[in-house]
Amino acid sequence: MSQTLFEKIWSSHIVLEQDNGPSLLYVDRHLIHEVTSPQAFDGLRMNKRMVRRTDLTFATMDHNVPTTDRSLPIVDQISSKQIQVLEKNCKDFGIELFDIHSPNQGIVHVIGPELGMTLPGATIVCGDSHTSTHGAFGALAFGIGTSDVEHVLATQCIWMEKPTTFEIKVEGKRKNPHAVTAKDIILSIIRQIGTAGGTGTVIEYRGETISDLTMEQRMTICNMSIEAGARAGLIAPDEKTFEFLRGKKYVPKNYDELVSYWRENLKSDIGVHFDKSFTLHADKISPQVSWGTNPAMTTDVTGTVPFPEEYSKGNPDEEKAAHKALQYMNLKPGMQITDISLDRIFIGSCTNSRLEDLIEASKIIKGKKISSKVHAMVVPGSQLVKKQAEQLGLDKIFKDAGFEWRESGCSMCLGMNPDILASGERCASTSNRNFEGRQGAGGRTHLVSPIMAAAAALAGHFVDVRELDLN
Amino acid sequence: MKGSVIKYEKDNIDTDVILPGPYLKIHDYKELAKHAMEGLDKDFHSKVKEGDFILAGRNFGCGSSREHAPIALSYSGIKAVLALSFARIFYRNAVDGAFLLPIEIDENAYKDISQGNTLEIDTTKNEIKNLTKNRTYPMKPFPELIGKIVAAGGLFNYKP
Repeated sequence: MSQTLFEKIWSSHIVLEQDNGPSLLYVDRHLIHEVTSPQAFDGLRMNKRMVRRTDLTFATMDHNVPTTDRSLPIVDQISSKQIQVLEKNCKDFGIELFDIHSPNQGIVHVIGPELGMTLPGATIVCGDSHTSTHGAFGALAFGIGTSDVEHVLATQCIWMEKPTTFEIKVEGKRKNPHAVTAKDIILSIIRQIGTAGGTGTVIEYRGETISDLTMEQRMTICNMSIEAGARAGLIAPDEKTFEFLRGKKYVPKNYDELVSYWRENLKSDIGVHFDKSFTLHADKISPQVSWGTNPAMTTDVTGTVPFPEEYSKGNPDEEKAAHKALQYMNLKPGMQITDISLDRIFIGSCTNSRLEDLIEASKIIKGKKISSKVHAMVVPGSQLVKKQAEQLGLDKIFKDAGFEWRESGCSMCLGMNPDILASGERCASTSNRNFEGRQGAGGRTHLVSPIMAAAAALAGHFVDVRELDLN
Repeated sequence: MKGSVIKYEKDNIDTDVILPGPYLKIHDYKELAKHAMEGLDKDFHSKVKEGDFILAGRNFGCGSSREHAPIALSYSGIKAVLALSFARIFYRNAVDGAFLLPIEIDENAYKDISQGNTLEIDTTKNEIKNLTKNRTYPMKPFPELIGKIVAAGGLFNYKP
């Protein structure tokens, strides 16, 4: 019987299968961080359990770490404590940790691939919803909560109901791929299928446009699968995938052998049936800007802030939600998106903080100054990204333009460390969630691509980045 | 299980409003509870009582995988969230840690149940009685395993 890529990975990881019930799946990689793991380790201690596979478990600190000078002590005592707890837990249980001073520290979903912990065909879990990022490598990767973190630490297995399959085809050549980016593709998809459009499914992104994307761009797409409610998103691995991972620190020694296996096996069979299907024509989309308080509330940069009655298409709940979102965002229907003025610019997060994102953003920043009205910062996704960017001189380009150049971490994406919006501040952010208060209580988030964030930093408002000279 | 309803007529109530990011540093569950729903309803902590239920729309608990969200609700006294649908990580976290019951209801129940109504939930009969309005609504039965995990009091107590 023909199978999808997801079904192949699923069936090769079943430890126990039941009729009409969930399966017990083996976990190949477990990534942990300081925020969702402490209570899991408490549970292990309480029940006198060990970590079953320390060799498959990796830890880093990313969510609450300061992005300022790391030679200084951490001012926030509660954050400092949480970081110390992770250090102690990793030491006590024998888990490799990339701590705040490690050259490999970074956002868990940035360092997984860059260190080769992420592998095609693997099952990967992490106590973070954006674990779907790793699906870009053809891994089945999903976020879990702390109880499951404890369960995986103790057993290296997880119970799971088999998700259904959802094919999202992205077709068509974009006229200007520097301006209409992977972020615009995924925002367009969520805008159309909705924040619960992928519930209960594993999405496989397919088609010509997906094949054309770089690994960094594929990660941006898979990263936001969770914003459509999907359990995971994945892309079949290809030569780009294999080349990306070759020579990375943690890839197995028999890499070439694995590649031969992956090349043969890790793809959906021709003509296979998906439970659900959706097609996006990437050649028809524009740069996207979110205007509301969930990622589906997004529109074209050339468009206007929608009227709630128009946006809701007759659904009274949606209309109410749109009214409330506009009130929170302090936006008037009918206003041009390009007339929205910004206070803050954030280039970072597990969605868009990789080297390629920073290179793209730097292209239009080079030799220019940011608007005097905005405060802008770049937070590289990892220490390795930061180092590589500095070798290319990107830090200088950003700093000369007026950006702050920070240390790596989740930073302003979720407002756990001091990098937050003040109430009422409006931010063009390359992150993944525009929920109320996400970047700081009362803060207003507009989700955009790195190039849009950079252009907005210069202009002080959104601009149609297709009109810029990006080559 | 009997309690009164705190109703939020809203879809997509995300984990960032259920338990805002800055409080994820807090280790003590009772402290966490003081900040439950803070992003949506600043008065929640002062009005919630032990045994209360939350009633909400679609895709409740979307967003982050933070188990702190069901924990904060649970330690506030919330015994069940009744919603039109749930985001799956929230649902899973609620069940795995036996923090609260995520109960899927239909449109009719969602519209009919008002703020402050007293409900009696019977998960063996898959029935919700509105004692204030003297009406009964169905609840979506838990899938078999979920029911077993709930009955066992969470994932770690569950023996397959």
